Formats: sequence, C-alpha cells, structure tokens
Amino acid sequence: MTDKTNLTVSRRAFLGATALGATTLAMPNVLRAQERSIKVGVYGGYFKDSFDQHIFPEFTNATGISVDSIAEPTGEAWLVQLQQAARAGQAPADLSMMSQVAMLKGQSTDLWAPLDLSKVADADKMLPQFINEYPDGRVAGVGAVAWYITLVSNTDTYPEAPESWGFMWDPANEDKLGLLALVSNSFLLEVTAKTFFGGTDILDTDEGILQVMDKLAELKPNVRLWYRDEAQFEQALKSGEIPMGQYYHDVTGLAAADGFPVRSTFPKEGGILDSGCWALSRASDKGDEAHEFINFMSQPSMQALMSRKVGTAPTLKRDTLDLTDAEFASVSSDIDPVLPRYDLYTTKSDWLNQKWTELIVG
Amino acid sequence: MSGLQLVDIHKRFGSVAAVDNISLSVDEGTFVCLLGPSGCGKTTLLRMIAGLEDPTSGNILLQGRRLNDTPAHLRNLGMVFQSLALFPHLSVGENIAYPLRIRGKSKAACGERVRELLDMVQLPGVADRTITQLSGGQRQRIAIARALAVSPQLFLLDEPLSALDAKLREAMQVELRQLQQRLGITTIVVTHDQREAMTMSDQIVVMSNGKVEQMGAPIEAYRRPATPFVADFLGQANLIKVAAGEGGARFSGGTIPGLDVAGGEGALVSIRPEDIAVLPSETGPVKASVVFVREMGAIVEIYLDAGGERIVAHAAPKTHGDFKVGSTVSLSMPAEACVVFDGAGA
Amino acid sequence: MRRSPPQKLTDYLPIAFPAAMLGLFFVVPFAIMVAVSVFKRVPGGFYEPAFTLANYARFLSPFFGEVLVFSLFLAAFVSAICLLIGVPFTYLLTRLRRGNQVVWLIALLGVLSLSEVIIGFSWSTLLSRTAGLSNLFVWLGLMDRPQSWTPSFGAVLTGLVYQAFPYTVLVLYPAFSRLDPSLMEAARTLGSSPIRAFLNVVLPAMRTTLLATSIIVFIFALGAYLLPQILGRPQHWTLSVLVTDQAIYQSNMPFAAAMAVFLVMASLALVGLSVAISGRKGAGQ
Repeated sequence: MTDKTNLTVSRRAFLGATALGATTLAMPNVLRAQERSIKVGVYGGYFKDSFDQHIFPEFTNATGISVDSIAEPTGEAWLVQLQQAARAGQAPADLSMMSQVAMLKGQSTDLWAPLDLSKVADADKMLPQFINEYPDGRVAGVGAVAWYITLVSNTDTYPEAPESWGFMWDPANEDKLGLLALVSNSFLLEVTAKTFFGGTDILDTDEGILQVMDKLAELKPNVRLWYRDEAQFEQALKSGEIPMGQYYHDVTGLAAADGFPVRSTFPKEGGILDSGCWALSRASDKGDEAHEFINFMSQPSMQALMSRKVGTAPTLKRDTLDLTDAEFASVSSDIDPVLPRYDLYTTKSDWLNQKWTELIVG
Repeated sequence: MSGLQLVDIHKRFGSVAAVDNISLSVDEGTFVCLLGPSGCGKTTLLRMIAGLEDPTSGNILLQGRRLNDTPAHLRNLGMVFQSLALFPHLSVGENIAYPLRIRGKSKAACGERVRELLDMVQLPGVADRTITQLSGGQRQRIAIARALAVSPQLFLLDEPLSALDAKLREAMQVELRQLQQRLGITTIVVTHDQREAMTMSDQIVVMSNGKVEQMGAPIEAYRRPATPFVADFLGQANLIKVAAGEGGARFSGGTIPGLDVAGGEGALVSIRPEDIAVLPSETGPVKASVVFVREMGAIVEIYLDAGGERIVAHAAPKTHGDFKVGSTVSLSMPAEACVVFDGAGA
Repeated sequence: MRRSPPQKLTDYLPIAFPAAMLGLFFVVPFAIMVAVSVFKRVPGGFYEPAFTLANYARFLSPFFGEVLVFSLFLAAFVSAICLLIGVPFTYLLTRLRRGNQVVWLIALLGVLSLSEVIIGFSWSTLLSRTAGLSNLFVWLGLMDRPQSWTPSFGAVLTGLVYQAFPYTVLVLYPAFSRLDPSLMEAARTLGSSPIRAFLNVVLPAMRTTLLATSIIVFIFALGAYLLPQILGRPQHWTLSVLVTDQAIYQSNMPFAAAMAVFLVMASLALVGLSVAISGRKGAGQ
C-alpha cells in the first residue's frame, strides 16, 4: 500500500495558509450535530489534518452529522483491526479511507458493506476506475482521494519535457533517475507494461511479469536512487543532482510554482493514478450517514474543493467540474492514466516482492 | 670524560621552573640518589636523563657524548618506574626479554639471558608465570631484571621501592646496592626517603624547588649540611636562631659556649639530637624543661623547651629514667657539633 | 567481607529488579520475535499462530545469503575503520589537557544527538555534485569539476563510520584514560620507538577493550537500515533494510522476524567466535 503519510512533510507547508478559515467555519455546528454522527477513518498525518480543517466542517455544516475522525495507522494494521473488530461485531470506524490493495484484501473476507449508488446523486459523473466492486458487481467502495505519480524532470538539465516513460530507458540518461524503491508503490511494472507491451494485460501471467521485469532490468544503469523517503528525491530533483524520475504530480507542481527548476509531465502513456476508497465496515450501523457522507463528498463542488485545498485528483469526470484548466492541470490530466494492477499485490504479493528485490538489488 | 654530566639544565612547564639550573657530575659506576620532597624536580631531572622529557636548555652528556638529541629508545639505558610498568599482556619471561626482542635477539639467546637475569634477581623458574601471579617484591625484581636485560650504560630508578612495605623495602635496599656493586653500573635513584638514600648511595643530591641544595657523600651531607633545608631534610635537626654573644652563641635558652657566630643577628645553628647531652643538673650554660619523653627502644627522644626554643635530644635508654616531664635540666651543646648558617641563610 | 550463598527467597531480591528489566525488555521481545518467526503468514492479512519453517526456508537462498554476507562484511569494515581511526584518536585525546579533552568529548556527544536521518541527509548533501564537498575541491583547484560521490559504497561507509565513531571513542576513552602512561614510557626506555611501543605494548595491553569496542561497533553497524538506503545503491542495502521492507511495507512479520532472528544468530556466532579466539590467545592471563 502506498504510504501517504510521508507526504505530510512536503504538503504541510501550503496547508497553513488555509487553516484559519476552516476552523471558524466549524464552530457553529457543534451543538446541532449532537444527534447524528459518524466515525470516519482517514490516513493519519497530512490527509487527516486537511480533512479535519477543510472537508469535515463543510459536511457537518451541510448535513448536521458530526464527524469523529480517526487517524488510521500505516501499513495494513488498520485493515487487520477492522477485520478483527468486525468479527466481534464492532466498528472502530464506520467509513474508512482504504488503499486499493486493502480494498481487495477486505473483499476477500466480505468486510465491506455493499454501497447503494442510487443514494449517491452524482454517481453517474464518477470515473469508472473509482468505483470498487466485488467480483459479483456489488459496490465495495467509492473513490475518496486520488493522486498522480508522473515523470518529473529538472528543467535546467532537460530543457525539453520528455514525452514518454520510454525516455527513461535512453542510455543517455545513465545514472540520472530517481525511482520509488518498492514494487507496490512505484507501479513501474504497469508503466513498463503499458509503455513497451501495449498494456498491463501481460502482467496476468508469471511469465509475462518476468518478461516485463527483464525490460525493467535494462533501466537499472540509469537509476541513481531507489528511494523510500520522498524528501530525499525531491531535494535531489530540485538541485539537479538527480534530474529525472517519478514523483507526485501535485507536489512537483507546487515546487515549480515556488520557482524551482522542476516540471511534472504526463507522458503519452499517462500518469500513474493511485487512489484510496471510502469503504463501510459491515459491522457499522451508520449506513445512512455513510451514504450521506459519500453522496456529499462526491459532489462536483466538493471534488473541486479537495483539488484546490488538498491537492487530490478529482474522482469525477472533467466536464462536471468547475475547475479552471490550470486548477485541473495542477492535480490531474485528461490523458488515459496508467492504472495500477492492485490485484497483483494481493494475489502475488510475496512472489512479486521477492522478484522485485532481486531485480533491483541483484 | 666518563660517567654522566648534567650541564646547566633548565626545565620549564609553562611559567613554572621544575628544574632550575642544575649541573652535576656522576662518576662511572657510582650509585647516586636524587633526594628531595615531592615537587622538588628530582623525577623531572631523571626523566630528562632518560629522554622522556626534553630540557628547556642545558646539556646532558654520557661518556662525553651529548645525549639531548638522542630519543629515549636509542639511549641504551634501563629504567625502573614507580608503577613498575610491567606489561600486563606478557609473561614474566616475555617482559624481561622485551628489550632483547626489540633488538632482534633470537629466541634462544633471549631464553638464555632471561634465565641468567632471573638467577641474578634470585627468582629462578618464574619465566612462564603471568605478572598477576607475582607478589609486590617479586614484581620489583622482575622490573629490575627487565631494565638490566641489555646491560645498559645507565640504570635509572624512579621511587622504585615506594610500593613495598617497610621490612621488604629495607631488604630490597640492601639487595639493590649489592646488585649495583656487583655489576658496577652507574645508577641514579630518585627517592623522597632519606634513610633509603643514605643506606644505598655513594652520593646523594639533595634537591629543593628545582635546585640542588647539596651534593656529596651521604654521611658528609648529614654531618655537614650545606643549608638549613638539608639539615632539616636529612634526619632530625634542631635549627636554632642565635646571635653572637659573650663566650659563644646566644639564644633564648642560653649560650652555646665557644661557638663563633660571625654575622651577628639572624644566624641559624643546626645541631643533631644525638649531639645534645641532657644533664640532670639545674645549672649550666643552657637550661631547659622536659616537655615530653618518647621511648623508641634503642633510643629515647626527649622534647625540651629552652626559653621558648623547642629542642629535641636523644639519650640512651638507661639514663632516661632521670628525666620527668616538667623537670628542669641543663643541655650540653658542643660547639664542634654545631653547623652555623650565616645571615638567615634559608 | 564474607559472602554466604543466598538461603531465603528474599536474598535474591537485589537481583530481582535487573532480572525483571532484562526479562521485560530483552528476553520477552526476543521470545516474541522468535515465536512470530515460525508463525504462518496470512497473505493480505497479518499472521496467525502456527509452526512453520517456511519463513526460514525462504531466507535460505543465495540471494539472501549474499545480502547477509554483505551486511556482515560492511559491519566488520565499519568496525575496523572506526578502530583504526578511533584508537589513535582516543589515545592522543587522553594525552591532552583535561579541559581540551572535555571540549572534544562534548563535540562527540553532540554527534550522538544527531538522528540517523539527519546524518544521512547531511552526508548525501556533502557528497552531492551540486552542493557537496567536491565544489570546495574545485574551488581549491584540486579537481576539475564537481563530482557526485553518492550513492555509493564509500558514501554508506562514510555515513556509518561517522555515526559509529563517537560510540567507538566513548567506549575506548575510559580504558585509555586509565592506561598507565609509564607502560608506554617503559617500552621506549627499553628500546621501542613511540609508534612501535604503541603497537606492541599499548594495543596488546588494551586487547580486551579493543575487542569489546569492535563488537559494539559491529553490532551497531549491522543494525543500520536508514543510511544504506539514503547513501547507497540497492546492492549496498543491508539485511536490516530488507527486514524493514518486510515488516513495514510488506506487512510480512513472520518473514521479517525470521530474518531478524537469523541476523541475531549470525552476529552472536561471530561475536562468540572472536571472544573464543581472543580468549585462547590470552589464556593463562
């Protein structure tokens, strides 16, 4: 699962500017919200802070339902807690923000209560990749937050923006790349598959995966840094020490806006779109409130607000939003994204991890 | 010229003069003690001879050859340290063989020499023991054997016996002296113990505050101290302020007949306790009252008050019964036993 | 003072507290780790109690073998360099005046207060092409143009040595302060040059301390998992890095525990071996 908590450091800076307005909005709702409430689990750190300040007060304001926000621990500990609690009929949170891999793992134990999209007014505007379904078609979760990982480069070193992920393989780029170190957060298998093998279907078989890995192995001489810590790469990218790599689109845009010689490019194969879902624990008795919450969050106005304040990519179709071109471009793109094959990370997790580690360490 | 010469040696540590212009000459084969209270510069002087400190100025000559610029490890001397400095990671034999191994001697030659040296210090057969298995006195002998292993030209010892108990110390003093005489090696010992210095050495050098107070044969220094400091430091001495008077030297307790004091006021007289005779009569040139009597076995120390001057005298045991605390006695202080220091000379 | 063997239960009281602390903070966690290492991983979940050696079996592969060997080699190398620099440094330090010693020791303690993250980032900047030391060398005319020295094996080594050096000195310092200075002087009067005396008297006399220090630094370096990531390439990642990956990113606690147990065993074996070897050398002491 993607460790979004790491983002807190780099994103917290621009959060402060908008913090004041949010708290004043929240105040009048305290009394009115007594009767109805909902517990919402959010990734701890950056996301919880932004939601507490920008998003939840709006929801309470509009519906009268108070939100009890809970910081989810990193890793899969939260999923384990939810599963164990559900077995005992308890729900530490009604709704939780879950990574796509955790969604799939929860599906396997029927942890998620099916959602009724008819209660979500703007469901028809939603991009299909943000509706998480059980194999039988029931809806397990609805997109909560999404973000792009793109091909980023230093504009001093690369005056021309690269057009394709394939540019990373150019021998001229020897020792110039910074890439994420883990198979499950870099999604480089998907990138390679889409760039060189016409799509991610090749990843359906072990042979196909190994074939993609062989192609990836050709990239190794060009990689200077396999990073786990984002701050490390961001700094090196800004200084030109490591002039190219994969990184978060919105954070790179903010750095460029601050005057650093960096750019984020959506290659023609698309940026990597990673996301988290809202999912309802089957042990929760707050189904109505949960649907109201999802309904509220899925409004074009809220998606636009999140794009502006939290920096997430909207889960709705572009033409339903009032985002300006610049606002939209700062968080998303119309180019068909590279969609991670989350199924691989549930069914073949250990095998993939082992092969990946051998690939980059060996 | 043979032996060791020190010429105008100075040693400063910052602004402190540890050794202040010392010159002395040690004849080949003699046993010399550097004697003085702690901090008098005697150890510093020894360390300069060893090459462990550099003199600030002055020359050190051995057999007429200037030694100043020769580093310690090339000076070819043996030194015994106060802590003994036996190497804890080596056995007794390895310790003794250390200077031989450094000089590239073969294992067999080393073994032979180690046996010889152990015999010399009367500890045969301990070569394979570890240092911790030895007693204090045994370690002392090993340190001596190690220092003498290469038959050095000069044998230096820094307070070598201070860690031993009194009885063992006395025995070692004798043994060390015998060993030195047998080997005929030029030996310099630093000590603060005047008895040790007197029993062992051919020559003593009494030092104080970085300077030499007196140099010479021990008994000479004892009988004829050059300064009040030497008089006081070597054994016991009565130091009495005197002035020239009728028929002798006058002091608060009376007159020392026949003693000629030149400089008028402010002269000091030194007289040893054993040179003062205590007489039971109440008349005489010097009168005193008995303050305290201390029986020492072989002698009796009698503490006296002679007109405010405190005086110590020795007497033979069988006579002391006559002297009771508080009784008045007369003192015989022969002029020939007195040493006069002119003009408040200290 | 005569000591009699403990007779009543209360006689054991003085050791109860240390024993409890040792048990609570070392034995229990280690036992849990050993237990988890034989548990069964639940893919997509956590783990469940079981007895399986599968986690160890997975570890016993040439790949992890190489990583283990590299980790041990790196730790030994760091330990050797720390001693090589730390021993003369500490020896000279103890020869300084007291006041100067304190200044040095405080500076070293200052390094200890830096977190591994800060050390890693500082060195990655210092060794970088754009802002690093090589720019200084270019300015001084020693180099033609700035170079990047990170990530590399040298960078990992530098970072680890920098981090372990204060420990080295602080462990060596008390022993060197207590060392009788006349041992060195005696060796010199017996014919050894100062350097020779240092090598054949001071070092052998400090053998036990040196061994203890090298073991401490070795174990310390073996546990490093941040610096190899920040300053190294993937081939410089230690087993500790892979343990962290498994524990935090893969949620594979049983496998992480198995690797950790193996790491502990391997280092204990090495420590035991070195103690045994030095014990035989120092026999009869």
